[in-house]
Amino acid sequence: MTRDPDQAQDLVQEAYLRALRYQHSYQPGTNMKAWLFAIMRNLFWDRFKGSRKEDVSLDDVGEFVLYEKLRDEGARPEADVLDKLAATEVVAAVEKLPPLHREVVLLVDVEGFSYKDAAQTLGVPIGTVMSRLHRARQQLQKSLYDYAVESGIVHTDGAKEVPTQ
Amino acid sequence: MNCKDCSEKLDRYVDRELNSTEVLELSLHLESCPDCQDHYEFQAHLKRLVKHSCECDTAPPAFREKLRQILT
Repeated sequence: MTRDPDQAQDLVQEAYLRALRYQHSYQPGTNMKAWLFAIMRNLFWDRFKGSRKEDVSLDDVGEFVLYEKLRDEGARPEADVLDKLAATEVVAAVEKLPPLHREVVLLVDVEGFSYKDAAQTLGVPIGTVMSRLHRARQQLQKSLYDYAVESGIVHTDGAKEVPTQ
Repeated sequence: MNCKDCSEKLDRYVDRELNSTEVLELSLHLESCPDCQDHYEFQAHLKRLVKHSCECDTAPPAFREKLRQILT
């Protein structure tokens, strides 16, 4: 979330200390990882709350379904495109998301949280998790598509062949 | 279930957020529809790609040790 290893380590350390101090507030039987992440997230927003403003600027890409877009252009979506995307480009696309959308992708897709646990961590209803996740994925898929076009992985003229180099 | 219903529920299927009845309906549709099966495999692959790409950022050993000391 911080995009900076030192700041990330400070945040994790502070979250651990705060969790120890407030361990009585943990309710046994609930998801401890979600509780810890909620502490860390609150610290993040306390420190970087200025960046909340970025969140109004998520581009409205409309309904963008990467699979359908690629198939309509004659590419084989999985073999021609997904297999050729570099991890660094995927990370760059995730990092480009505004924080409120990035955090839900990180919780659900990277940390494997259920919608319910993500909702608990973020302090929002499940419906909000679903709508943010949906918009974040649309934006993510659009970014990956743009990269695939720019780098020649996919051609927009409908050609099925892609460069092998 | 038709392809439109399947497409609308695909993300929640990949995220394992559907109830057992919906999972069964969607699985049956996928078995009989190669296009939706391809779409499902693409979405599942994309989710794995995001996970594996972003997971590379792990805490350095020295920092892990520091956290361990905080907890003990």
